[in-house]
Amino acid sequence: MRKFSFSRKSLGVPYALFLFVFVIAPLLVLFYYAFTDGQGQFTIANLTGFFTNPNTLGTLCYSFALAIVTTAVCLLLAYPIAYILAFSNIKSKSVILMLFVMPMWINFSLRITALKEVLTVLEGNLAMHPFLNAVIGMTYDFLPFMILPIYTTISRLDKALREAAMDLGANEFETFLKITLPLSVPGIISGVSMVFLPAMTNYVVLDMLYNSTYIMGSLIGSYFAAYNWHGGSMIALILLGIICLFTLLTGGSEEENTRGGALL
Amino acid sequence: MKKKIRTGMTLAATVALAVSGYPYASLTGSYAFAEEKDTSAKEVTLRVCNWEEYIDLGDWDEDETIDLESGDIIGENSMVKDFEEWYYETYGVKVNVEYSTFGTNEDLYNMLTLGDVYDLVCPSEYMIMKLMAEDRLVPLSDHFFDETDENNYYSKGVSPYIRNIFENNEINGETWGKYAAGYMWGLTGIVYNPEEVSEEDARSWKILDNPDYKRQVTIKDNVRDSYFAAVGALKSDLLTSDSFRNDPDYRQKLVDEMNDTSPETIQAVQDYLQDVKNNAYSFETDSGKADMITGKVLANYQWSGDAVYTMDQAEEDGVFLDYAVPEESTNIYFDGWVMLKSGIGEDKDKQQAAEAFINFNSRPDNAIRNMYYIGYTSVISGGDDPRVFEYADWNYGAEDEEEETVDYDLAYFFTEDTDSEDYVITAPAEQARRQLYAQYPDADAMERSSIMIYFDDAQNQAINQMWVSVRCFNIHDVPAWIWTITAILVIVILVCLIRNMKKKHTQN
Repeated sequence: MRKFSFSRKSLGVPYALFLFVFVIAPLLVLFYYAFTDGQGQFTIANLTGFFTNPNTLGTLCYSFALAIVTTAVCLLLAYPIAYILAFSNIKSKSVILMLFVMPMWINFSLRITALKEVLTVLEGNLAMHPFLNAVIGMTYDFLPFMILPIYTTISRLDKALREAAMDLGANEFETFLKITLPLSVPGIISGVSMVFLPAMTNYVVLDMLYNSTYIMGSLIGSYFAAYNWHGGSMIALILLGIICLFTLLTGGSEEENTRGGALL
Repeated sequence: MKKKIRTGMTLAATVALAVSGYPYASLTGSYAFAEEKDTSAKEVTLRVCNWEEYIDLGDWDEDETIDLESGDIIGENSMVKDFEEWYYETYGVKVNVEYSTFGTNEDLYNMLTLGDVYDLVCPSEYMIMKLMAEDRLVPLSDHFFDETDENNYYSKGVSPYIRNIFENNEINGETWGKYAAGYMWGLTGIVYNPEEVSEEDARSWKILDNPDYKRQVTIKDNVRDSYFAAVGALKSDLLTSDSFRNDPDYRQKLVDEMNDTSPETIQAVQDYLQDVKNNAYSFETDSGKADMITGKVLANYQWSGDAVYTMDQAEEDGVFLDYAVPEESTNIYFDGWVMLKSGIGEDKDKQQAAEAFINFNSRPDNAIRNMYYIGYTSVISGGDDPRVFEYADWNYGAEDEEEETVDYDLAYFFTEDTDSEDYVITAPAEQARRQLYAQYPDADAMERSSIMIYFDDAQNQAINQMWVSVRCFNIHDVPAWIWTITAILVIVILVCLIRNMKKKHTQN
């Protein structure tokens, strides 16, 4: 018995080691660089520098704008698809769903390169619409991450709730607004967080589609290319803070909503 | 035109690069060419770090043989493996080369700072200057410069023009040549489609913000190259004026002007590059070549080695592109071998192997193999060995039936005797503005070439700040209506949240 519990504990050692080497230690290094200057002295100049520089703040705004628009477009496209798929009676449901998800199985840069050619045909000169291209590229890339969680949530809804609403006199639209939509919020939230955060940093899409404005990811890269590890680390840390805040906010409401669902 | 391109290899590399995604992801790829250990003899391990795709990896097809008058040249094995064999045969010592690669000078510098140890690396001239200034390099030994040793191919074979530059440029009172041996070199210029772009427009840096080619010109996605081009465009009138050109001190003054980092110039460059950002097709590192070939862009700021590659590839698709060296000035750049203190230290055996590696790559046939494989121009002219010139002639010399030819004089590169007429290639007329011009620019283009020095920390910071400002969205540019909408949205969300909470409160 004693021996068993011992071996069970030791099974966790590799994971603890992994967590330390690949999560905790890098984070400590990140903190160290973010709060020191070139001489290794403690400083908060990197932090204040970020919030006083119109360029870094502008980049934050630009990244936010891009991420918000991308997420909104993804949501507007994904929700109807997920809704229709979940409630339709067609037999080939899983095939259609697979068709939406399949692009994910093809290499990312290959897809974007192909998209570049398609957009060139459609727009003539790609470089004329950098923001639009970035949104299209990211939507194309992240759409499956929005569809899947929403579809899963909606298809697991208890049909009885909708039927009850109908019985009590609600029409289709009211049923959707008061039953389906609120109950699918957890799916929306996990979809949004899966799209919003990568959309703020995935600068490869911008690079490949010739949007030459920096977003958060490329800004960090440019600091490291200029040997400014301290400024770069601080921006990475600030981004981490934003992500944590975002996760806390959405995580909190998600819990609330499941409770709300149970109440209903 | 006998030149063939190793399409397969280069294509594979391009795809690999595309698949690896971003520039920062492809930091290193290591290949160890380890041999079985010979326990009886002493073995030297040499850690070499070079640019990606920057040395002959061998495995040529039979029909790729370069059949020069002085004999055939073909790459059967990789250069690294050949070196290991040659070293053992020549010096009786086994050497084991651990060969790895880097993506940019800054990557290499960061790798060294992080504690990666290499003996021999091949950065560009400004990074060599930076490493010299930081006292990180081991000087080349006296023996390396001894031209009586038949194995000292570098000293015997380096072009007098290049040697001159390495001996006349100093950092902290020491010449480059004391620490660095050149490898490849070139000029920056503009590759353009002559059917759409006039030669006159392409021969100026001002093409980058020329509204006639709106969104049809690419610029380099790195601060140094962009800075150089912007300074060239801004000072165009001065740099092309006769009085400046005929100044007895023209060469030095040109270098001073092109390396001007005064605050006013930096500000002017920032404004200029912001215009360029709104006019150019893209800031690119690698994609410009493909976009030029597919016709998405009409002109492309390019390093001469890549220019040769672009023109070769386009020709295979039946598109003929030209190459221009801007009138204002062009950046002459080098990549060179330097030995690191952190790797070599006091180890004389290692140093000997490192210097032998440089010499082996400088042997004319090997220099030709590397040139053929990667498309750039070697600093080696061959000295008494005629093969490098024969190779240039083999590549670009006119066939007998050619009607329009020009005499293309390369004496400045191949000999100290600039009046010599032994180094004239009779080439098809269009080659004077195509591959030959890119690979071996004429003396005229060289006359207006300027090196770009390395910037000290303060200058670097100012210039990098300028670059970030060009590339970032400035918060002051956010229009008022967006602020208004954002404010309204935030208020609506807040109100909703508060009402929700109140509702919950009353429910409970």
